[in-house]
Amino acid sequence: MLDSTLSELEARAVSLIDGAPDADALENARVEFLGRKGSLANIGKDMGKLSPEDRARVGRLLNSVKQNLESRYESRKAAFERAALDSRLAAEWVDLTLPAPGTRPGSLHPLTQIQRELEELFTSLGFAVVDGPEVETEWYNFDALNIPPTHPARDAQDTFWLADGHLLRTHTSPVQVRAMEKFGAPLRIIAPGRVFRNEEVDASHEHTFYQLEGMMIDRDVSVAHMLYFMKSLLTAIFKRDVTVRLRPGFFPFVEPGFELDIQCLLCGGSGCPVCKQSGWVELLPCGLVHPNVLRSGGINPDDWNGFAFGLGLTRLVMMRYAIDDIRHLAGGDLRFLQQF
Amino acid sequence: MKFSYNWIRELVPGLEAGPKGLMKLITMKTAECEGVEEFAPWLKAVCVAEVLSVEPIEGSHNVKAVVNAGPEFGTRSVVCGAPNCRPGIFTAYVPPGVTVSGGKHVRTAKIAGIESEGMLASGDELGINRDHEGIVELSGVKPGDAIPGCPPDSVIEVDNKSLTHRPDLWGHHGMAREVAAITQHKLAEPADLSLIPSGAPAWKVDIRDFDLCPRYSALVFENVTVGPSPLWLQERLSAVGLNPISNVVDVTNYIMAELAQPMHAFDAEWLHGNTIIVRRAAEGEPFNALNDESYTLNPSNLVIADERGPVALAGVIGGAGSAINDKTTRIVLESANFQAANIRKTSSALKLRTDASMRFEKAQDPVNTVRALARAVALLKEVCPGIRLVGGLVDSYQPAPAPAPIELPMEWLVRKLGRPIEASEVRGILESLDFQVDEPRPGVFSVGVPSWRATKDITIKDDLLEEVGRMVGYGTVPPQAPLQPVKQPWINEERLFHHSMRELTAAQGFTETCNYSFISEEMARRFGFDPAAHIRVANPISIEQSLMRMSLLPGIHKNILENARFSSDFRLFEIGNEIHPRSGGELPREVPHLMASVYSKGDGKSALFELKRLAECLMPGCTVNPGEALQYEHPARSATISWRGAIPGRIFELHPSLVETGRAAVLDLNLGTLFQLGPQPKKYTPLRRYPSSEFDLSVIAGLRDLCGSIQELIRSAAGPSCDRVAFLYGYQGKPLADDQQSLSFRVTVSAPDHTLSNEEVTAIRNAIIAKLRDSGYDLRG
Repeated sequence: MLDSTLSELEARAVSLIDGAPDADALENARVEFLGRKGSLANIGKDMGKLSPEDRARVGRLLNSVKQNLESRYESRKAAFERAALDSRLAAEWVDLTLPAPGTRPGSLHPLTQIQRELEELFTSLGFAVVDGPEVETEWYNFDALNIPPTHPARDAQDTFWLADGHLLRTHTSPVQVRAMEKFGAPLRIIAPGRVFRNEEVDASHEHTFYQLEGMMIDRDVSVAHMLYFMKSLLTAIFKRDVTVRLRPGFFPFVEPGFELDIQCLLCGGSGCPVCKQSGWVELLPCGLVHPNVLRSGGINPDDWNGFAFGLGLTRLVMMRYAIDDIRHLAGGDLRFLQQF
Repeated sequence: MKFSYNWIRELVPGLEAGPKGLMKLITMKTAECEGVEEFAPWLKAVCVAEVLSVEPIEGSHNVKAVVNAGPEFGTRSVVCGAPNCRPGIFTAYVPPGVTVSGGKHVRTAKIAGIESEGMLASGDELGINRDHEGIVELSGVKPGDAIPGCPPDSVIEVDNKSLTHRPDLWGHHGMAREVAAITQHKLAEPADLSLIPSGAPAWKVDIRDFDLCPRYSALVFENVTVGPSPLWLQERLSAVGLNPISNVVDVTNYIMAELAQPMHAFDAEWLHGNTIIVRRAAEGEPFNALNDESYTLNPSNLVIADERGPVALAGVIGGAGSAINDKTTRIVLESANFQAANIRKTSSALKLRTDASMRFEKAQDPVNTVRALARAVALLKEVCPGIRLVGGLVDSYQPAPAPAPIELPMEWLVRKLGRPIEASEVRGILESLDFQVDEPRPGVFSVGVPSWRATKDITIKDDLLEEVGRMVGYGTVPPQAPLQPVKQPWINEERLFHHSMRELTAAQGFTETCNYSFISEEMARRFGFDPAAHIRVANPISIEQSLMRMSLLPGIHKNILENARFSSDFRLFEIGNEIHPRSGGELPREVPHLMASVYSKGDGKSALFELKRLAECLMPGCTVNPGEALQYEHPARSATISWRGAIPGRIFELHPSLVETGRAAVLDLNLGTLFQLGPQPKKYTPLRRYPSSEFDLSVIAGLRDLCGSIQELIRSAAGPSCDRVAFLYGYQGKPLADDQQSLSFRVTVSAPDHTLSNEEVTAIRNAIIAKLRDSGYDLRG
């Protein structure tokens, strides 16, 4: 009698649990059959009236029905929860093609970028990065560099003179002497910075531009050593092997003095408009430091010598990005500057 | 400096290299060449023609000439407009198809109704001289000949800057010496010293200052006939860019271009007395130069004078009165040497640069004066038939000791060059350049410097290293890593600091600009800066760039206005130096500043806060204190920035009168001050182990009471237990009065050793409220 009640009850409960249309109906079914006051609990209460044999048998039966219903309930419940989560997440759709809020990062000036690159390169080669003033004395800019007042080489550097008798440095070379005074020998320095020449501005001329001076002083520095550094420098700048050549060049602060040319990177030396069909592009003046310049810096040329070079940062930026008009660099036009 | 290929080849007989090859050799071994150009290539096609007959053309000033143009062209009819076109003369015939000087293309054409088969040419059309008055007239030639002595040439242009140290390379013979050494040929000597006459000089020279004039040599000639030079001489001068004038003047210019010795010919009739005086000019002494200009001289200028006054500005230009002219029959030919520095000083002071001054300022060789005169004797005899020398050589100089030879240790040379080289090769190179080489001790050369390199160019062994290095070619030196100890370089903290400021600013959305250090007076005034306080450029490019900036603002302001044309919302910044004058002849103070700006439309508030955020990124914990505005600032939107006891900058909106299309907020920081403060020290505080408590307060304040002041008031009243006072929000409106606002703050308090009790928290809260009430603030709710 109890057996059949139990199996009817099971069948009804299975149908209600499995057929529950939503979580609420499922919960109602759980309360009705599996709750503390539900049908199965009530049957359990009646078990006391049974004989010991029947009690054991019905007890086992009741347990199996309860397990069956509980497992069905749990799986149905999980399904409803999963569905509820799915539908909530589906509703949380976001259009990620909308623009992100906030300000975009700005950019550093291309001159800054190339300057930093070279500063890091030279620091890794053991060179200190030093500064000198943009307003200089005639002594540091000329005399100390073996360019006395009557030297015709002064003509080559159209100088801005200031009313107070000073001048705007025409090259970064004065830092050579300042660095020798500050650090003595041995010495490895570079000095990037702003320089000035009294020139009319056009697409390829500026009165304000950037150079990087380099100097190494040690015992027995040779032309071969200088070539080694120049080659390493240029390989790092152009990120490829470059072929260089040295030819005589006159700069009063070096002896011997050189012009360093690189084989044209565009045509590989066969000749093109960029290298004016020569296969070579003039890149940097360099040389062994003139003994008079060492003396100006308080260094004895009998004990020490070295090399120095000057690199046009502005020119390098123009070459790297194929910039056709030098005026862009100081023009402050964000449409230009934001490209870098 | 222009070099004629033909001329160099004449001085280096047997030279095989062509013009382009020669240019390359010179570039690699001696000096930078800027290019090579053909000179008068049409002369290859031009030939001599005899004018057979001339008949007028009706209604035209031209004539029809029938010429015999030699075996190749035969008899030709040409239309000619030259007044000197007449039967019997021999002239230059340009066949059709040839382009002559000035790009004039000659072809067979009908001119004035007559068929013209080619052209008869003037010196100007041939490029030989500037004579366009008539066609050239030749003698001693026959039809079909090439124009005698005038082959086409090539001109190599050498960069003057690379000749600054080489007085000898300002003449063809000097360059030819280089070429002979490079190509291992013999160098021809154009001057024959045996032509210098012996005997007593007819003139005297009185050098009053041997420092300024180490040597003055001269020759006197009579029976001179002034006229045009032969065409070969004119062509040479034209090829190297000198203007043919007359036989006598052309000879002086020719020798200058050949031997680098400037010369000057005086018409002796116009010299008073027979003594050349070389002296400093008197103060205010007037001088009329042959360029038709008048100059007022002073004692820093050296003059050549006769007994009445200056007849030439020494080494720069001759005088108008004694210049060579058609009637000249007697000349004094000067070949002198002047001090380089003084010539340069005079020529820059008078802004008068001449072919002569350009050479003298490179320090010419005093030995050269007599050599040039010997050359002149030969040339004048050729171009001025009948000319006669009068008396012997006029020559005055103070004998100077020859410079001591330079010791050149081979071992040193090899070490500096960085490659081995045989002593015999070194000797060979130096001797090919006319150095005198002895070997007093094994392995050490004693090198005598030739006079033309000894004036300034070569004084130390390093100079000889260059001679050897360039001649062996630097391409033979293998790059070699130096063996030096590894050492960490000195770190430039200030520069790295600037870089980090740059990067932080760019990361906040600002793009870096790079403005000039110059501003105009007008720009200065626009911002209320006193132009007189700025350092002035003595020789500015333009009035727009006459002052050194004392603020980055004018540049940034310009950036704002220019970019506002293309964009309604942007951020930019610059890091650069302000230049502040200092007294006592000291160099100015260069103060690095960072200036950043946000430009926007609208009310401009958010731009100011963007800059405040940038300031807080650069200076964590800085405070902004509204204060009195400067002239260029918005009067109600200006504040100073305080950080760690210093005031490193300002934040403000530019006065609306300066930016009319929108609003621009600006942050101006003195990076020098910031760097001095050093990096913010970092200090660890143990994390609080006991929970903190929070409570909110809403303070009723006036509309212009400062949030920051109230916040600071709360913080100080809360005492040491206060962790944080955070601003939550502000409110205006009902039930508050119109002139009131409510500012809400959240206060967080805690203790390091226990959890604060309710009583303790309430006590803190009450203390804050009491302090606020004392300060006149009410609390809401």
